[in-house]
Amino acid sequence: MATESPVKTLGLYIHIPFCRSKCQYCDFYSLGGSRDKKLVDNYLQALAIHLKETGARATDYVVDTVYFGGGTPSFFGADNLRRIFAEVQHRFRVDKDAEITFEANPDSISDLLLRKLRAEGFNRISIGVQNDSDEMLKKLGRPHNYEQARQAVQKARDAGFDNISLDLMYGLPSQTVEQWEQTLRHVLLLKPEHMSCYGLKVEENTPLWEYRDCANLPSDEVQAEMYLRMASILEEAGYRQYEISNFAKPGFASRHNLKYWLGEEYIGFGPAAASDFAGKRYANLPDIHNYIRGVIHQDVPILSECETIPLRERAGEYVMLRLRTTRGISEDEYEKNFLMPFRPLEKIIEKLAEKDLFRQEGERWVLTPKGFLVSNQIIAMLQQAQEKSTPLAKKR
Amino acid sequence: MKVGDFARNEVKPLTDLSKIRNFSIIAHIDHGKSTLADRLLEQTGAVDKREMEAQILDNMELERERGITIKARAVRLNYRADDGQDYVLNLIDTPGHVDFNYEVSRSLTACEGAVLVVDASQGIEAQTLANTYLAVDEGLEVLPVINKIDLPAARPQEVKQEIEDVIGLPAMDAPEISAKNGINIHAVLEDIVQQVPPPKGDRDAPLQALIFDSQYDSYRGVVVYLRVMNGVVRPGMDIKMMASGAVYKVVECGYLHPLGMSPEPALGAGEVGYLTASIKTISDTRVGDTVTGVENPAAEALPGYKTCQPMVFSGVYPADGSKYGDLRDALEKLKLNDASMSYTQENSIALGFGFRCGFLGLLHMEIIMERLEREFNLDLITTAPNVVYKVDKTDGTTVDIYTPLNYPDPAEIQQAYEPFVKASIIAPPEYVGNIMELCTNRRGEYKDMTYLDTSRVELHYDMPLNEIIYDFFDALKSRTRGYGSLDYELEGYRPSKLVKLDILLNGEVVDALSFILFADNAYARARKICERLKENIPRQMFEIPVQAAVGGKIIARETIKALRKDVLAKCYGGDITRKKKLLEKQKEGKKRMRTFGTVSVPAEAFMAVLKMDD
Repeated sequence: MATESPVKTLGLYIHIPFCRSKCQYCDFYSLGGSRDKKLVDNYLQALAIHLKETGARATDYVVDTVYFGGGTPSFFGADNLRRIFAEVQHRFRVDKDAEITFEANPDSISDLLLRKLRAEGFNRISIGVQNDSDEMLKKLGRPHNYEQARQAVQKARDAGFDNISLDLMYGLPSQTVEQWEQTLRHVLLLKPEHMSCYGLKVEENTPLWEYRDCANLPSDEVQAEMYLRMASILEEAGYRQYEISNFAKPGFASRHNLKYWLGEEYIGFGPAAASDFAGKRYANLPDIHNYIRGVIHQDVPILSECETIPLRERAGEYVMLRLRTTRGISEDEYEKNFLMPFRPLEKIIEKLAEKDLFRQEGERWVLTPKGFLVSNQIIAMLQQAQEKSTPLAKKR
Repeated sequence: MKVGDFARNEVKPLTDLSKIRNFSIIAHIDHGKSTLADRLLEQTGAVDKREMEAQILDNMELERERGITIKARAVRLNYRADDGQDYVLNLIDTPGHVDFNYEVSRSLTACEGAVLVVDASQGIEAQTLANTYLAVDEGLEVLPVINKIDLPAARPQEVKQEIEDVIGLPAMDAPEISAKNGINIHAVLEDIVQQVPPPKGDRDAPLQALIFDSQYDSYRGVVVYLRVMNGVVRPGMDIKMMASGAVYKVVECGYLHPLGMSPEPALGAGEVGYLTASIKTISDTRVGDTVTGVENPAAEALPGYKTCQPMVFSGVYPADGSKYGDLRDALEKLKLNDASMSYTQENSIALGFGFRCGFLGLLHMEIIMERLEREFNLDLITTAPNVVYKVDKTDGTTVDIYTPLNYPDPAEIQQAYEPFVKASIIAPPEYVGNIMELCTNRRGEYKDMTYLDTSRVELHYDMPLNEIIYDFFDALKSRTRGYGSLDYELEGYRPSKLVKLDILLNGEVVDALSFILFADNAYARARKICERLKENIPRQMFEIPVQAAVGGKIIARETIKALRKDVLAKCYGGDITRKKKLLEKQKEGKKRMRTFGTVSVPAEAFMAVLKMDD
């Protein structure tokens, strides 16, 4: 296994498109309610083949994160997850300290499942809690109540998970700032290492979209207030905001998710999974049947898109993705990696800093929570300035 | 001239004057002018039904969409009448808007008759009236035709009565037709032959030909559309434009057909056709000018020539500043075809390089803007249109002000003047109250009112041109249910109390939004503009004060609240491409915006301040 050459690291994402039932707001690719035995077997077979083929092309990489997302991986079952992970370890060089995450819902977490997975090497669990009110959970179509969520966290602790992440949502129908604060305070009692807190986005092709106008969603002003309150409550509780929607105790930021924002390489398996690997960004078609056929029989394409990203565009992505994080952007990094002048961006950033939207941390520029709230606008402004600038290489 | 040409001349004599009929069609929009023209072309075999592009006379795409004819065209039709004789019918098309009144009058002057098309269900409309009177004034024989008789709501008898009562034209024998379905078109052709008088004219006299239109062609130079009044024009002949003084040698002359032109050895008095003479600038061939021979010139020009002065000026800028060169090229090309438009370079602090363009009126301006955007694929920002003001300065000089950018400091102004027009408005009497109210609001000075007959009143007002150019015509239309018609001519300059209104965004003056107006209107207008801008500028990251100021004093203010939330909550692997596409879209939208300091203003916002009437 050991090589002398400098090692490149790689993240793997494995999509589990199965869940008990579709939530009202969810637009991820997942088959609600279905766990058809034959389909599951075929899917496992396809994943195995895909992992084998891809592993052969990634021999000079070390996998340092594996993420099982969904759907609901816990609903898919411990044995299936173990089989896939075994295949991963068989086909890739997986670092011994790799972060191995799986997503779980409180209704499909059992002691047995937790212990099996922990024993296999899974070391991080992300539990969908969303809210502390059973009434709200029901409204959202979640198949569990808050007590189940609370117990799930306890079970995970007992099974030996010391890196637990909880997913929460705000900006929910009829939600008030007070209700959101209360959810946060309740959830903090569970002492998770990590929290992902997402503002609800009403997506097309979801049940919520259909009745969005009478869903009594909080206004932008109220949502902004919720966001700022959250940021300060979690900060006070000892969590660091490291991305727009992500907070962690020191040392517990999600290494896998950071790859998306830091422009590092990852490969996705399963329908709708996306990859950024070897200079190309590509995604699989969101159709499990197509995926199985394409991988096993190779008679249909499985990719929905695939593009080589030129350096100039990478510079745009750097701004767009890095500014989601509290790593932010720096002149040195920017000019070295993309051969573009940083000054035009900095001019804008300095102006925004006067308005408390940016802060400086050593050499780096980082958005403040207030800045995160309007980050789409800021990114667009900076990218516009980027497009107008001439590459440094040409100037010289 | 080559010998062969001369020989052909001898072989092919000029068309017999008595067999020529020159006519126009007058109609309200939608009453079927173009459709009737199509049918006449078809029935005389001038164009095959199969090769017929619908409404072939309006061959500019824009015209077809707006349903108005902008530039006159002409076609020559051959028709064997019921009397067994062969006739030549020259149909001259006319534009139909007050901005182009002069061009209409020149087209009519080239005719001896006009077919008045009236919709059998709608009856006479105001717009038709103005042109009908223009035709009558020019001494034309007007032939009413009742169209759309196949519609269930058709009431041909009543409409005929209306024509007799309102216009005073005998109409009881007017053909009842359906241009759309080709019913009774033959009767129209026979009416034209029998009732339109043949042209008069002396073919042995010195050449006098009236230019009623011209068009630039990149191969031949300017193609001049003309009606020969006296004399004969031939290729090889040296000609002179009597008003512009330009001299050329005729390269080609001939007849106009629906799908092109046919060269002929000569055009004689009474005939309608075209000539080319390697003319490079269209401004040498002004509509209304007289063409004569250099040898044996006419003693005097035909009457009625006027130079068309642009009356409305507006700043025109590329929405994307880097497209300045493209805009200049486009204007150069358009100018080749439109002598009534003018442009000079202008530089705005807010918008960068652009042009101050002059137009006959607002419709003319809109058409030019649309052609620039469509034919040249440009994205434009237009500033509020203004008229030409005059200012006596304290240093004793007088300056013409074409743009608010050059408006002098109030301390340097001795006296300001603004142009006034004599406006004539014709409408049914029941709307007089509405019209008077409108004119008074627009600072009109009532002169007199006359009943043309029981159903039509003509009102005369002296009005500031500035009040007319914005949206007066639209306002008049809406207050008279479309019956009101407007005509105006420049009367002269009068002393006026003028101020320059500045608009500030985020505390900074945006010069491109400044304009000059009557002092007493400043407060009301300022308030409205601030409201409009507030509606049209999207929320941004900061609160944006929108202020209006006169001479540094703030007189109105609105605030665009800061955008509180614009963030993508989730952005993992699969979201990145989607997010990039969204950002691309957002950027496309931004390209249509101009940034002033930190404020982005969409091009639409500049337009929104133009229209003030609700």
